[in-house]
Amino acid sequence: MSRRITRATASAALVVLTLGACAPSADSPEPGAAAGEGCDGDAVALDVWSWRTEDVKTYERIFDVFEEANPCITVGFQAHLNTEYDQILRTGLTGSDGPDIAQVRSYGLLQPLVEGGNLEPLDDVVPELAEFDDAALDGARGREDGSVYGVPLATQTIQVWYNTAIFEENGLSEPETWEDFVALNDTLLEAGVTPLAVGARDGWFVPTVHDALTAARYGGADFQQALRDGETDFTDPAYVASIQTLKDLQEYMPDDVTGVAYTDAQVLFTSGQAAMFPGGSYEQAFFQDANPDLELGVFQVPPPPGSAVDHPVTPGYADGNWGLSAATQHPDEARTLLSWLASPEFGQLVADELKQFSPVPGVEYADPLQQEMWDLYQESPAPYLLLVDYRYGDPTGTDLMGQAGQKLFLGDTDAAGAADIVQEGLSAWWTPGE
Amino acid sequence: MSRRRTAALPTPVALLFLLPAAVLFGVFVLYPMATALTYSLFSWRGTAQEAFVGLDNFVALFTTEPYRTELPRAFGHNALLFAGAMAAQNSVGLLLAVLLHQRERFRRLFQVLFTMPYLVSPLVVGYLWSLLLSPLFGPVNALLRAVGLDAVAQPWLGDPDTALWVVVLVTAWQWVGFPLLVYGAALGALDPSTQEAAMLDGAGAAQRFRHVTLPLLTPVIGTVSVLTFIFSMEAFPIPYALGGSSGSPAGATDVMSLLFYRTAFHSGASNAIGVSSAVAIVLFLVIVGVSVAFTRWFRGVERRLT
Repeated sequence: MSRRITRATASAALVVLTLGACAPSADSPEPGAAAGEGCDGDAVALDVWSWRTEDVKTYERIFDVFEEANPCITVGFQAHLNTEYDQILRTGLTGSDGPDIAQVRSYGLLQPLVEGGNLEPLDDVVPELAEFDDAALDGARGREDGSVYGVPLATQTIQVWYNTAIFEENGLSEPETWEDFVALNDTLLEAGVTPLAVGARDGWFVPTVHDALTAARYGGADFQQALRDGETDFTDPAYVASIQTLKDLQEYMPDDVTGVAYTDAQVLFTSGQAAMFPGGSYEQAFFQDANPDLELGVFQVPPPPGSAVDHPVTPGYADGNWGLSAATQHPDEARTLLSWLASPEFGQLVADELKQFSPVPGVEYADPLQQEMWDLYQESPAPYLLLVDYRYGDPTGTDLMGQAGQKLFLGDTDAAGAADIVQEGLSAWWTPGE
Repeated sequence: MSRRRTAALPTPVALLFLLPAAVLFGVFVLYPMATALTYSLFSWRGTAQEAFVGLDNFVALFTTEPYRTELPRAFGHNALLFAGAMAAQNSVGLLLAVLLHQRERFRRLFQVLFTMPYLVSPLVVGYLWSLLLSPLFGPVNALLRAVGLDAVAQPWLGDPDTALWVVVLVTAWQWVGFPLLVYGAALGALDPSTQEAAMLDGAGAAQRFRHVTLPLLTPVIGTVSVLTFIFSMEAFPIPYALGGSSGSPAGATDVMSLLFYRTAFHSGASNAIGVSSAVAIVLFLVIVGVSVAFTRWFRGVERRLT
């Protein structure tokens, strides 16, 4: 009996350990590549990895365009489950049967690959990068050397979605001033509609809501720069005030907001029970799928009184890059593909086929709503601050704001206390000005 | 239990037959385990292994933020999960097993019904319950309100005071079939003559359970307790489904595996592999240490009883 227990103990406990270890995989032969029409010699097969399992068909169509123009290169597109992708990619890039080019994460989650020497710096390899916006390239930089390690793939913007039908029924229009915004929330509340579809049970969603509603209050990009220069930290009165503004808006959110899941908030909005949804541009596809009759509009929240900037802002962030494996056997062909991935032709395909914002300059959007969000972002961009600059250590800024925001909504702390939680947590690995 | 020497096979041949299993065990269990141990003794830059640092990662775990705060908190939550599972899952499992043992009809049916939830992925169970408990659309609160229990309706997963107990209860809901089956089998194996003898001596049902059945079940209770301890320490899918990777709300459902997950895969920290491997090793040592100590102690208890 006792031996059985001991053995069961040992084997069950070992599961914990196997979680922690990932062994490099063995070699496997490169699949033979069939040369396209118009290619004289042998074609080179490039392996491209991605976490977008839902886009495999679309990506294959997109890469057909590239293969037609480059008959001597064939692209093998492989998608892995999003939740497992990072581990698979780490193993793939350290072994020898990994991809030549891979979708890699942005900002902090890119760093393990950069620091491990798994990716090639691209500053001199892809000249097209010089045309890209700095904010987009920030998502692809190595933290230590500042080099660019990826061609930016997509950008997400954060704003407020609204149900135009509900607005019309209640005689409301997009707010021009903070007073308008508060007044329309009051009107909706009186009409029995939940004004703001917010769920704070999922910690990651809280900082998104905070920036969607109050980024102008603390000053967006200016505040980011002040933090980078070491002139202030998160206990700054402007930042505390922005958190207080979030707390003030809690009355317009569902009751027991910390018990409301992010998906609950989505359902509240798509089912017409709530009028507005502060969230990312990436919601569009889901909103339209969930309720094809939903009439959508977007606006930027006007700056609250005392704001650090006098105009509304749209926070945004880079969402994924194309990285070049340091272990690739076909560097020349991979460079050709990367240059194409940085070209307006590919950017337009991202917009038209994948329905994402492409950071390639000059891309246009057929969907008017998408074009509107993009224009707003171009006019007054701001960083999605805690994701962009504060995911380079443990704990991450977004996790901290998630917890701090939950405590704030629960009444366990006030705005200053919430700002302290963020600042103290970050001070484990971050010093203002560094 | 006595140890016997079997002479069926000469030792070299026996070893040969053991080889395939030993190789599999070595490759898939021992090797990763040893790797995790070595990972925790080095510093890392992303995916690249750097210098040997001895126990520095462990020291960091106990002396630097955020681990200094989060590690004991997570351990505390794991301990509560264990206590909760012992109270809510194993006692109910024992009760159900005894009740089912007493009736012949429908015993199988009920065993299957109670065991069913654990055929479902715990992640699915977690998401299901998070839908059921939603303060907006969840039927649980709607039901409570419908029968006039408005005061009892709670934002179950949104309140730090209730969230962890929800995790305990959902876990119990899924796993109650496990103690039920084990105790059921043990009850079936008991010699009915002991019951009859007690009955002849005039012992009532409660007395028979307390003084005859329970002592005879002691070894099984020990096994179930140790396994429950291991499951509770390793809890991941249900806490993850109910509270996300950061243990919402405000860290109230954070457990060791979530801490490991965040440290390993969620942070952009340079030394993530080193520190997270240290977390895994600490968890491993606690599980093995407590389990072995408990088993030793329990063996003593058994001996005194028999």
